[in-house]
Parts: sequence; structure tokens; C-alpha cells
Amino acid sequence: MKLISIAAVLVTGLAFAEAPSTVAIRNARIVTVSGPIITKGTIVLRNGLIADVGENVSVPADAWVVEGEGLTVYPGLIDGLSTLGMSVAAPAGGAAMPTGGGRAALAAAAPAAGGPPARGPEDRPMTTSWLKAADQVKTSDRRLELARNVGFTSAVSFPKSGIFAGQGAVINLAADRDADMVIVTSAGQYMTMAANSFGGGFPSSLFGTIAYIRQIYLDAERYKRVKAQYEANPRGLPRPEYDRALEGVIESPRILLPASNPIQIARMIKFAAEIKQKTILYGMFDGYRAAPMVKASGLPVLVSLKWPEKARDGDPDEEESLKTLELRDKATSTPGVLAKQGVLFGFYSDTVDQPRDMIRAVKKAMDNGLTSADALKALTLNVAQIYGVSDRLGSIEKGKIANLVITSGELLQDRPPVKMVFIDGVKYEPTAEAPAAGGAGARGGVTPQGGIN
Amino acid sequence: MRSKRAILVFAAAALACSAETIVIQNATVWTMGKAGKFVGSVVITDGKIAEVGEKVMVPQGAKIIDATGQHLIPGIIDCHSHIAAEAINEGSVSVSAMVGIEDVVNPQDIDIYRALAGGVTTANVLHGSANAIGGKCEVMKMRWGKDAAGLKFEGSTPGIKFALGENPKRSGNIQPTPGAAGGRPPRYPATRMGVEDVIREAFTDAREYQKSWKDYNDKKARGEAAVEPKRDLKLEPLVEVLEGKRFVNAHSYRADEILMLLRVADEFGFKIRTLQHVLEGYKVAKEIAEHGAGASTFSDWWSYKIEAYDAIPYNAAIMAKKGVLVSLNSDSAELMRHLNTEAAKTMKYGGMTEEEALAMVTINPAKQLAIDNRVGSIETGKDADLVLYDKNPLSNFTKVQRVWIDGSQYFDRDNDVSGRAALAAKKKALEDKEKEAAARQAPPQKKDGGQRRPQ
Amino acid sequence: MNKLFGLLIAGAVITLAGANDTFVVRNVTVHPVTGPIVENTSVMVTDGKITEIGAKIVAAKTVKVVEGKGLHLYPGMINSATEVGMSEISSIRESADTNEIGDFDPQLRAAIAVNPSSEHIPVTRANGITAVMVMPATAGGGGEGRRGGAATQVIAGQAGLMHLDGWTWEEMAVTKSAAMELKFPAIAGIPARFAEMAAALGMQRTTYAESKRNYEKKLVEMHEFFERARRYQKAKTAKDTSLKADLRFEAMIPVLEGKLPVMMMVSKAKSVKDAVDFADRERIKIVIAGVDEVGDYTAVLKAKNIPVICGPTLELPNNEDDAYDQKATLPGELFKAGVKIAFGTFDVQFARNLPYQAANAVAFGLPADEALKAITINPAEIFGVADRIGSLDKGKWADMILTDGDPLEAKTNIKRMFIKGHEVDLSSKHTKLYDKYMSRQ
Repeated sequence: MKLISIAAVLVTGLAFAEAPSTVAIRNARIVTVSGPIITKGTIVLRNGLIADVGENVSVPADAWVVEGEGLTVYPGLIDGLSTLGMSVAAPAGGAAMPTGGGRAALAAAAPAAGGPPARGPEDRPMTTSWLKAADQVKTSDRRLELARNVGFTSAVSFPKSGIFAGQGAVINLAADRDADMVIVTSAGQYMTMAANSFGGGFPSSLFGTIAYIRQIYLDAERYKRVKAQYEANPRGLPRPEYDRALEGVIESPRILLPASNPIQIARMIKFAAEIKQKTILYGMFDGYRAAPMVKASGLPVLVSLKWPEKARDGDPDEEESLKTLELRDKATSTPGVLAKQGVLFGFYSDTVDQPRDMIRAVKKAMDNGLTSADALKALTLNVAQIYGVSDRLGSIEKGKIANLVITSGELLQDRPPVKMVFIDGVKYEPTAEAPAAGGAGARGGVTPQGGIN
Repeated sequence: MRSKRAILVFAAAALACSAETIVIQNATVWTMGKAGKFVGSVVITDGKIAEVGEKVMVPQGAKIIDATGQHLIPGIIDCHSHIAAEAINEGSVSVSAMVGIEDVVNPQDIDIYRALAGGVTTANVLHGSANAIGGKCEVMKMRWGKDAAGLKFEGSTPGIKFALGENPKRSGNIQPTPGAAGGRPPRYPATRMGVEDVIREAFTDAREYQKSWKDYNDKKARGEAAVEPKRDLKLEPLVEVLEGKRFVNAHSYRADEILMLLRVADEFGFKIRTLQHVLEGYKVAKEIAEHGAGASTFSDWWSYKIEAYDAIPYNAAIMAKKGVLVSLNSDSAELMRHLNTEAAKTMKYGGMTEEEALAMVTINPAKQLAIDNRVGSIETGKDADLVLYDKNPLSNFTKVQRVWIDGSQYFDRDNDVSGRAALAAKKKALEDKEKEAAARQAPPQKKDGGQRRPQ
Repeated sequence: MNKLFGLLIAGAVITLAGANDTFVVRNVTVHPVTGPIVENTSVMVTDGKITEIGAKIVAAKTVKVVEGKGLHLYPGMINSATEVGMSEISSIRESADTNEIGDFDPQLRAAIAVNPSSEHIPVTRANGITAVMVMPATAGGGGEGRRGGAATQVIAGQAGLMHLDGWTWEEMAVTKSAAMELKFPAIAGIPARFAEMAAALGMQRTTYAESKRNYEKKLVEMHEFFERARRYQKAKTAKDTSLKADLRFEAMIPVLEGKLPVMMMVSKAKSVKDAVDFADRERIKIVIAGVDEVGDYTAVLKAKNIPVICGPTLELPNNEDDAYDQKATLPGELFKAGVKIAFGTFDVQFARNLPYQAANAVAFGLPADEALKAITINPAEIFGVADRIGSLDKGKWADMILTDGDPLEAKTNIKRMFIKGHEVDLSSKHTKLYDKYMSRQ
């Protein structure tokens, strides 16, 4: 049975590849995000872009029509910090660690074994700043399908390992070729406060990591000056050393720094100003206590959807601190508080297992003070804005990339009723989810319309 | 301050309090200054000690605290602490001067509050002793409720930590397990000889670094083409030591290594500000006094390591009698809560007087940290950092009643005790809420296929 | 002439025989502990025992006089849990003999492994402590607890009550086997708040369920061991000729007979309850030791007359939100609930600071005279030697200290000390180094 349907899928997939690129979704409810909701309108897609959208838009003759009666169209959702498309080895020690910065990041991204331990910043420990997610993303990642099934059409994916892990890319969650997924080749440098465990070389502590980062930025500024000086007139001067770690740092348009609790948030705000880098803070789940400080800093943030939970296998009699109890109680109120404060924030998956659990997590925030409009924005336009691509992504506007999700009801609910998504103007329908190993390299691939197993 | 959960609200309240005028009346005041000890009062205005004496003028509208039968001392200063920091050791390298406590301050460490409850108002928070030259220190006031920036003792001289003896050579003496793959290589040094070498090499490098920048700046001034040297965050604090701008606090045990460090400092033309622990300091008290280093030691720790086997509780008294400026420290979140009673031990071990004993945890550490213009004694013009005890501060039966820092009250035992029930109730309410929510939810569904997907 | 000669001989005999152990302390303030303080009185010690306390003691002119004017006489203090004599430098395993391998080692005896030349002996007694309980194993908290068989050991062996004076451990022993040390198991595992950090470091965090299973398994093993000991005891009583001697079970017999108390080393409140239940089921006499929280079980301890050896009061609270004075208030609370308490330092380095642990409890609610009892008569009673030591009473050994003040205060000096009436040298390595280096020019 399975073999036949796979064959059918491939056949229809091939058939679909020659389908017309003009699509019109007619008489649907359109939530543009950038403007007021259009109760009944039409969207025309052509050549992978939104050609037109409005109440009175006419359907072109060559368009393949989607009847939108009873359906709602949203901009496709964007995971603000992800590894979708990348093949990721399971981290040592079993369960994935939530990235909240601080202790959690300590050794969570342990570097590959082998090689002598670093003797200092000069050895560029735990640094692969030149790596680009854009070079690594593959359409064959099975997780892309799961993400699309609940309405995600894009993600900002990053290499994750190390202090300077590498440069992320804004990608679409489907394409004909791997490289075609890429929307932005370098969205920013992903950074953690990782450190080696005892005996693993420099740095082996939080302040070691901070001192290292500080040194890198001093070195980078000097590198630029010295290179420019040499370019201007090399005679008589020693030539600058090639340092690919610094090259990677310099070509990153912005950085991502981890910060969850107010101490870390204050620390990272101060640090970002010191190293003079355009910074996004990620983690933030006890940001509810620091909203005014974040607002005053002007920094955008990414809020993790891995809300803190009580350990299931712990001692029931164990005494937990008030801080921990309050955090679990109030973490889901953070997005609402940030929204009220006027902080620009987006959501990201963190270590949330399944993309549909991301939506559930957003729902929890909505139950705790976040309006559905703000929730949607944090999954779409805000993320685009944070990464400087709001001119082409994140809302339903003429000229933007045709990334949409169409539902038969409210998108942000426990079981999002997704009918189809469009990515670059190509339609994908949800699949029945089969268990499979994660990451790229697994069989499968793009699931075009009609592929129900 | 009522609750330990001081958030922004409480910080704001604290700020408001600092403008209050307070008169602490009728206490036995241990000024630790020229005025000595007497029964009298202290007037606090704008966070400073405005007046202190047997009789004072009570300003209008001042808040009166009746301290009859109680004892008022200057806030205790702990010269060696590791609280309130999210990292203590960068032990991977022998010289880690590039790191600093300032980058990792944790203002919500409950040990800050516990220190307050033990009468400590200022602490010198140090890097650990994993390496010969460690990281930069930070002097902090125990201003519970403020953020990291708010804890910093503004204007205090920057410091750096050195360590001698067994600890910095421990990583050099790791025996790799035979047959095991990998494992970590030993980190130089493995002997006390190597510890001296590490320090001399580091300062030689620092001198070279100083020179390279001087040469570069001279060339630039002459209009010559030159490539700027790299900035080296590791060597810059050492240059500051050479220039006398950064205090060296050196963890040390044995007499020979103490002397070694004094002579290395002489060789490079700088002074050791304080020797920390310095458990055999009594053997070389003469040399320490001549050099002008202060000594900050334990009251009676010994025998836990072989280098502590000759430690004696008379150490502080001997050094003091031989002309060294001596303070007692804790190096422990627990011990710092009763430095007053640790100080009392010097009366038994060495015959210190009450005032000499108390000086070791008040004015002496203030002088060692060069903050004695601000704290360490109850004298007009100094910060109102004060501790009120219900009995003689050197008695084992006493306890701290109240603590002020900068004239704001940061600890009140009565409030602490009466607030405990409310704290317990608050926690119970949250726990119950969570239990109810868990009960309401259906048991967790098995996911389709039940397999985990790594990110 | 004969009479004079006879007197001379008699005098000489008296002076020679136990000359040091017979003396009178004059004009001193006596703190008997079992009765009210008596000012300006005298104490007669004959052949090492207290024979008289009173203002009008008449002693022969040849009897040595110890001048007590302006001074105080207290019973020597008793530290109810130490490693004194069994550990010299705690970071050097070769110098420590605590924590043997093996889960059930009742046959081990700490007393015979006490090094009478340990520097810790003169150092500890210099602060007024005349007797210590020497434990075969540390209560698991400090670095020592990681050595030997510490991780899984349950019955560590027999603790000895030792005087801090004697040429050999035999001379030092007050009671060679004063208690059986049992390290009550606890539900192990890393608390949830450390879970994040532990996982990051790659440490496997045992689930609560697993830890609980291990704990219950251990309890079953313990009951089984006791049962096997009981069967051995029965066979021995019945004079079963086929019985092979087993030193472990031999050592258990006094425990099963209720003659040797078992010191249950516990720390958590829940373990207190389990330890009491265990004792009930096995019908043994117990003492709870090392505990730092008793929770709701104070009434149970009082009802069953189970004494508690309090752990150090100068310790941090267990949890972030706990009262800052948590450890210091426990002894007072136990006392108020009617539980008999004593203090132990559970270490070697700070054994001399026993009185300050007690004093800290006074600051936070324990009456001062109860604190003194908890380091004198109470431990004597708990370990069954109250007929010999623990207070200044007629018939007891002269274990006494002469001080210039309250020994619970740090500034107080111990002027002189007597153990079984023998005056003890209060100098030590510490005083000698003091003298030596003060004299350096």
C-alpha cells in the first residue's frame, strides 16, 4: 500500500512541477498582518511572488483557482531561530538542552573531540564563525514537512555548536533545489556562552567565554584597520595574518546573544553596547521581569517557546525555590508583557520537539495576556523585521514572497486546521505524520499536493 | 527590607529610604576610630554618617531607632569571598587575567542576603585559586535587591587574584589514566618552582607588551608607518599592576612561597597589596611587614591540606604584633556570616583586645582595600554602613538585628522572621496552582509513532 | 619518733601513689551542670575521682593545691561525633582511616585505629574538650565521604568514646565500643534545580523513581542483614555446635540486645521517620545523628525517647528559601519539644570548636544552660557513661577544665585541664609554633 502511494506521490509530484505558476485564492478571509483583515478578498500569486491582494482583485484567466470560501489566509509562519534544514547530531548526554544562555549553554554545544585544548583566545576556541547555514540546508530534512503541516513556511536556521557557531540563513521550508531555499545568505552570527568542561581547554567558565568574545571583537576591529592600512600602502609593512574566525565575525550583519533571566538580560544588553554589535537577544522566558529594561535598550528579542516545566521524574517532596515556582507560573506571560511594553519580539522553537507543540506553546502565551494579533505578528512580520527582511517576507502584501498558510479556521489553536501552505508560490498540503529520523539525509522530500498516505 | 524577593519595587523603595534621616540612639557604639567605644548615638543623613557621639543633635523629622542595650559596629568587610558570581575559576590556563568577576555578577545570589544577616556590608569578590595568575576581582556592597551595577563599590581600586602553592599546581600533576584514550594533558606548572616561573614570565610579557605599545605610539608620533600591536586583554591588567593601578591579592600558604612572591614583586617593581590565607605568614611576618603587604587570613582553619598543616590560630595575632596590617576573611559563604565571632578568637589565640579583634573585620580590611575613606569605621563623613547586634558583637551569643548600607536598611531580623509565614504561603499557593493545573490536563498523549526528533 | 617516721613514710607513700591525681581546687566557681552554680568553693579530687565539692574542704598539707581564684571549673566537654585520631590531613587519604569498604561492617572498631600521637588530640583538648566520640565513617558530607567504601556503606562499625589523654588508645578509651554507626540510606539523585547544570556537564541524572527503588532495595538489604544477625544470635544462644563464628554477627549481638545504641546518621526529615520505623521493626535502641532538619517528627522522637546529636549549627540552610538561621534554631526547637540533644562537629579540623556550635544555638533560642548540658552530661548519658563523666559530681572522674570565663565564648581561655584527675598538658604544635615565631627577631 505504502509503495503504491509513494509512487503516486512521485508521479503527481512530477506532474505538478509543470503546473502553472499563477494561482488565485478567491473569496477568502485574508489576515495580512501588515494591515486590517480583509473579510472577503482575493490574492493572486505569480512567479513566486504576491502579485496582488485585495477585496476587489480580479482573478486572471490563466490562474489556477483555490476557492477560499470558508477559508482564512495568513502569511506563512517563520521560526525565528531554528535548525530546520540542517542535519544535527543529537547532543551528547541525551535530551536536547533549552538554549536559555547561562548555565544551560555551558558545554551544551561541546566541540568535536580531538585537537589540543585551547591555550587562550588566540587559539579561537569553539569558533566556527565562517560556517554558513546557507551552505548546509537541505530540502530532504524530514522535519520541514512537520513544520509545514502546522503552517510554517520559513525559518531562520543556524549552525548551533560553539561560542561563535556560524552564520544563519533565512530559508524557505521547501524548494526544488537545496540552494533555492535560501532567502538571505547571512542573517546573523549565532552565539552562545558555551564553555569547555573542566580540563577541556580555554575557556572553561562563563567569564572566560565573555573575555574571549570581547577579545575577538577587539581583534576584529584591529583586523579591519590593519587590512585597510595594508591595502592603502603595503610597502614596508608586515602583511596582516589571515584569520577566518575574524572574517566570519566581520561578515555577520548582527549577532544573537543568549539571555533568559533579568541578570543575563542586563548583562547582555551592556555587553552588546560594549562590543558595538547589532544584537538580538534570544531565550527570554523570564523576560516578564525585565520588559522596561529591554525596551529601553532598543534590542529586538526572540522568545523561546520551550516554556519551563516541572521535571516529570523528580522527587515530589523536593523543595523548589520561589524563584523557580514563579518562573514556571509567569513565563508564559512574557510575550504579553513584552508586547505591551512595545518590544519587538519574535518566537522560536528552541528545543520544542514538534512544530505543532510550538503552536500549543504560543496558545499558552495567548491564554496569559498575549493578543492573537500580537501572537501572529511574533510568528511572522516581527521575525522578518528583526532580520531585516520585512520588505519581502512576513505579511501578505503586493510584491512580497508568496509564502502563505491557508486554514479552515483559526490558525493559532491546539490543532491548527491547515489546509495547505504556499512557499514561493508552490502549494503543499499537509501529510499524515509518519515517524522518521530527523535531519537531512532521510528519504522523503518535498510532499506536493495530493500526497496523502 | 521586608521580603527577600527584592525586585525593582524594593530597589526603588531602597532608593527612597536613602534620603531618610535616621538617628540610632543609645547603643554601645564601637567606632573603630579615634573616639573609641562609648554609649551614644549616630545620625545618618543622605546615606552618610552625619554625627556620632555620646550626645547628638537630633534633626527634625528624623526616624528614631532606639538601640538601648544593643551594640552598633561598622559594617563588616570580608576581604575574600566568592559569592554573587556565576563563575569563579578560569582554570584552563595558568594566567587568566583577561577574565573578571564584573562580567558575571549575580545580584540575586541568596548568599548576599545571608551575608547581610551575618553583618557583612562589603565583600571583595575574588577569582578562585586554580591558577597562579587569576582574574580580576570586584569589591561589592551587599545591597540586596539592586542589580549587578548597583552592587559595585564605586570608586574602589581594581584588583586581581594570584594563587600560590598546591592549588595552582594541581592541574600540572594530573596523572593520565594508563590506556585511556585522550584524557587531558597536564597544565604547567606542576611545582612551586613553576608557579614562580609563570608569574615572572607573565610580568616579563607584560613589560614587553607595554614596550610594544610605547614603541608603536612613538613611531606614530614621528609619522613613521607602523602596524598597531594587538590589544591583549590578558596582559593589560598586569600592566596596570606594574603601574600600581591594580591591587594584587595573593592566595598563599607556605612561608617560602610568600617570600618568593614578595621578592618577585620587588624584582618587577610593584607591591603585593594583600596576601590571602597566608597561613604561614607568622613565620615571615618580618618580611611581610617590611614589604608593606597586608595579610588576610582565617581565624583557625588548619590541617585540611598539607600546606595548611603548620597553620596556627595565633597567625593573625603574631603578624599583627609584628607590624602587619591583618584582617580576617571567610572564603566561604557560611563563614562570612559570623566573622564577628571569628574575630573574637584572636582574643584567645594571641591576646588581642576587643577593639583589635573587631578591627580585623572592619577598619583593617577597609584599609587593605583602600576604601577606608568611605567605610570601616563609624566616623562623620563616612558611608552609613552599620550593623546593630543585640549583644556584644564579639560574643558567640549575639545576633544581628539590623543592617544599613549607605543609610538604607537592608536587613531587619524582625521583618525576616515575621515574613517567613508569608513566603511559605506564597510558595504553597503556587505549588497548589500547579498541581491543580496538572490534574486538570489529560495525561500526556503518546505522540504519533512516539519517537523523539532532535532539533 | 616512730610515729614521726611513720607519718613521713605515709606522706611519702601518699605523695608517690597517684600523687598527681589527688589535689584540691580552691576558691573556684563550680559549674556542676547537674546542679546550680556554686561560687567560691572547693573541689577535692582523690585518685582521679571527685570526692568532695564544698566550701569547707580540709585537705592534708601535702595535697597539691590548684588555685581557682577568679576562675571557673566546668566538666570537660564531650564532642559526640568526630574523626579525631583517625584523620590527620583530610585531603591526604593515607592519613585517614575512616570509611572502610563494605556495606555492612559492624565488626570494625574505630577505637583501635586512633593514633594517640595525632596532633589533633592536643589541639582539640586545648579548647576544653576532654572526650570525643571517634566515628568509623564520616557522615558523608565532606570530601572524606568520597573515599573508601563511603558511597554505599550502611553499617560503618563501632564508634569509640575516647579521652583526649593516654599513652595508648587503650588508655584513652572510655568505652571502646560506645555506639554502632549506621549511615541511613537516602533517596539520592540530583535535585531538579541542578538538573540543567548536571545535564550540561553530561552527568546522568537518576530519576526519582529509580533513586527510590535503590533506596527501598537498600532498606530491604538492611532488614535482611539484621535478620541474619538474629538467626546467628539465636543459634549461638542455643549453643548450636555447628555454628561457625562470624565476627560481623558477633558484633551485632549487643545491638540486637539493645545494649549498644545505634547512631543513625541521617540528614533529611524523611530519613528520620524511616530510621525510627526501622528501629521499631528491628527493636533496637537508636540515636539520631547529624540531622539538619527534623520536619514533623519531633514528637515521635520525644515519644520514643530518642536523643539527637545535632549536626553543626554553623552551616548554610539547605534550600534557597529556607530561613537563614535554619541550622542554628534546630537544637532549640528539639529541646523545647522535649528531645534530649547533644552536639558533634562531625569532622576533625574543627573538633575544638564544639562549644561554638552549641553557643550559636543559644543565640537562636537554646537556653544557655541546656547548651552546656548538650556538650557534657547529655552525651555522657546517651553513651552510657554518666556514672563516670559528664558533670562535676562526687564519685565521677575528675574530667575538668579551669577557665577564665564561659567556655562557650571564644575569648575564654582554658587555663588548666584534668582528665581522670591527671593534669593534661595544654600545649600543642600550635602553641609551640606561636612561641617559636614570636621569638623570631
